[in-house]
Amino acid sequence: MAFKEINLNMGPQHPSTHGVLRLKLAVDNEVVLSVESIIGYLHRGMEKLWENLTYTQVVPLTDRLDYLASLSNNLGYVLAVEKLAGIEVPRRARYIRVVLAELQRLASHLAWLGFQANDIGAMSVLLYGFEARETILDVFEEYCGARLTIHGIRIGGVPHDLDAALAARIRKVLDGIPRRLADIRALLDDNRIWKQRTVGVGRIAADDAIAYGLTGPCLRACGAAWDMRKDVPYSSYDEFDFDVPLGRNGDVYDRYLVRLEEICQSIRIVRQALDGLPEGETSAKVPRVLKVAPAEVFHTIEAPKGILGFYIRSNGTDKPERVKMKSPSFINLQSVEHMCKGNLFSDVVGILGSLDIVLGEIDK
Amino acid sequence: MSRIGRFLKSFFLVDMLRGLAVTLRLYFSRKVTVQYPEQVQEPAERFRGIVRLYRDDKGEPLCIACKACQRACGTNCFDIEGKKEEGAKVMRPTKFDWKLDRCTFCGFCVEVCPTNAIRFSREFRLTGTDKDGLLFHLPDMYLAGEDLQSYLCAGCRRPR
Amino acid sequence: MTPFVADVLIPVGKIVAVILYPMIMVVVMIWLERRVVALMQGRLGPNRVGFQGVLQPVADAVKLFFKEDIMQRQADAFLFNISPVLVMFSSLLAFCFVPLGEPIRIGTYTLTLWIAESPVGLLIILGLSSISVFGVIFGGWASNSKYPLMGALRSVVQVLSYEIPTGLTVLTVAFVARSMDLVEIVRRQEASGTWYGFLMPVSFIVFWISAVAETNRAPFDLPEAESELVAGYHTEYSGMKFAFFYMAEYAHMVLVSSLVVILFFGGWLPPFPSVKALAFLHAVPGFVWYLVKIMFFLYLYVWIRATLPRYRFDALIRLVWKWLIPLALVNFLVVALVRVLR
Ligand code: SF4
Ligand code: SF4
Repeated sequence: MAFKEINLNMGPQHPSTHGVLRLKLAVDNEVVLSVESIIGYLHRGMEKLWENLTYTQVVPLTDRLDYLASLSNNLGYVLAVEKLAGIEVPRRARYIRVVLAELQRLASHLAWLGFQANDIGAMSVLLYGFEARETILDVFEEYCGARLTIHGIRIGGVPHDLDAALAARIRKVLDGIPRRLADIRALLDDNRIWKQRTVGVGRIAADDAIAYGLTGPCLRACGAAWDMRKDVPYSSYDEFDFDVPLGRNGDVYDRYLVRLEEICQSIRIVRQALDGLPEGETSAKVPRVLKVAPAEVFHTIEAPKGILGFYIRSNGTDKPERVKMKSPSFINLQSVEHMCKGNLFSDVVGILGSLDIVLGEIDK
Repeated sequence: MSRIGRFLKSFFLVDMLRGLAVTLRLYFSRKVTVQYPEQVQEPAERFRGIVRLYRDDKGEPLCIACKACQRACGTNCFDIEGKKEEGAKVMRPTKFDWKLDRCTFCGFCVEVCPTNAIRFSREFRLTGTDKDGLLFHLPDMYLAGEDLQSYLCAGCRRPR
Repeated sequence: MTPFVADVLIPVGKIVAVILYPMIMVVVMIWLERRVVALMQGRLGPNRVGFQGVLQPVADAVKLFFKEDIMQRQADAFLFNISPVLVMFSSLLAFCFVPLGEPIRIGTYTLTLWIAESPVGLLIILGLSSISVFGVIFGGWASNSKYPLMGALRSVVQVLSYEIPTGLTVLTVAFVARSMDLVEIVRRQEASGTWYGFLMPVSFIVFWISAVAETNRAPFDLPEAESELVAGYHTEYSGMKFAFFYMAEYAHMVLVSSLVVILFFGGWLPPFPSVKALAFLHAVPGFVWYLVKIMFFLYLYVWIRATLPRYRFDALIRLVWKWLIPLALVNFLVVALVRVLR
């Protein structure tokens, strides 16, 4: 019997659209025929707002984009401004930034791990991931006094120095994470249900992924090696020794493995940065009112979710004339239809989760 | 062997039993829950809680109403007016309104203050029942903070 | 004993008990689930209301009963209202046929710990638990909304498919015990000296997996997979009706655990009933053994839920048709052969 095609609204209030995303699905029984993502429910007019704020005042607002990795947004914006204004950041500050940014990547990936597992029904992993993430947030709290919207980077450097006590604490946190990860891997890696829900689901070929502009772990899961930290190094990343993990099949399972491996690599980077932390200033001399001569700049970094870029045009005043943001989640979301078509309705949830989108960043 | 072994492994649900062993082990592990109202987790030394004004050792207010904080704030939390009294050396604020509901806890005001008058307290309980309770006036700014709990009513979270 | 007590008071008391017993077990189960899952996840779970939070489910139920009862305009009012009742009723009714322990002798009077002993008790229970599917599909259909409809469809397919292996394994027990009477099945296990679970482990495992699937529990909780279907067939329900669905689900779990214990683990019998050295175990009342065993299986439910991800629909159906049903059939043939040859 032919089943009538039905249109299904997933979201904006739905437990697993990760925020206020609305997906318009056409399903035939359980098979997905088309997916249309409708965004904008969290639009706050960030880019316009930034035009009315000074260069420094924008930084805390970038926290509110990808709120699971707020420090990476800070870093992306601040690096763009520094490039624009020609500010040279001291080496110690650059190292501290690397430590913080990699810790943020850890936190973001651990949160993702929890969400993804919860979407597929392994509810305990959510708590395990969050427990590990919590220890990292504690480090952030110790460092600069906030946990989620951190504002942990200033134009020209970092707000605080990283003293030995904090470094020791970070080391301790890093030791604890692999243990938690081992538990999670024992729960998921070989589990038949987990594999059946992820292996071969949401596949995308490397060519298609590049055509869709997919970046970050999702792209690397297809086997395309493109990591800004390695290929276009910024903020002293070229001084560290780390691998870029690659997947083979571009399915949800490979994205899971790539992110797990990235967690291990990030731990490696943080350890190196702590060991080789150079002496020196933690901030360059930046005028209190930063005025930038007319110019424009586009700078990209490797945020936990993909390539994050900021385009800034200055006009000689202390406020940017235009800031445009290239947010990884927004672009990664575009390929969701390609991945979901022909799959079962249950898989939409898993695929959407594997893209690791954050609506704060999509709607800006 | 490996194929038979794999079949046996899958037939006897080895992967699932491994998972069950993990959850059973964690069943007896240490719990992370903090029983909130009875146990309070100490915020970190640098915790960015409610912003408050401080006095110096002699009890003199530190704020000189220079409005640097007002200019630095990206979200317009402040409304400050100052006046120099007859014979006084410095200006003092006559009006110092601070809106908790607009604050992003970015820390700019604290960083720019020339006299270190405005600082973060470690007060993290920010709730109120209406907007008025979130608007702090000059006297509140000196009280708010470490002693905010005794200052605000526990029920309605408004100044007593 | 006066006829009044024997004919009126005791039956009335039993009826009250048969309604109260599942309810108490449901409360215990909800509490157990929330606490155990929490403990496995490194947190504490509800521990404020009552001793260690045991009264939390009661508090939740009271809250639900006082909530506004919402029914959207397009819903089919009759079916919408009748389905929670149907689900609840079928679960509760089944408990009439579940023996709770050995008959107790008071003087000349024998107090049986069941309401009805029927030679086809097993069939009646299976039948009643199938009726609850009607409640689910009516509820999903009458809601006139897409998520409940999909949840209901999934539920029907799932329950119908999994009833086949359930039936086949139950038959093996009936074969060996030569009876479909639950009390008789336990007595047979007592006489033979072994629990059927050890005699027929395959039957037990197939039955248990199908039972988990039939009660819509993780990893087979597709009809109400909250990350996909919001809340499945009871998405549109609120207040008391939602509470009914919710409690019926847990009552069903208690029922299934009771069935497993009776069919495969000797009901109220102590462990190793025939070993002389362990005769002191008989000192513990049968009812206690029975409860302990039920609690073990309820715990197992929760443990599995805390561990495993959720099956996808196609795999769920594949599992039952490609693995469980053939396995149950082979098992059935083997048991039948052994039974005939002996
Ligand atoms: S912390 Fe930031 S937002 Fe809050 S009052 Fe100070 S400058 Fe304004
Ligand atoms: S708090 Fe500090 S910055 Fe603000 S007006 Fe007073 S002295 Fe100036």
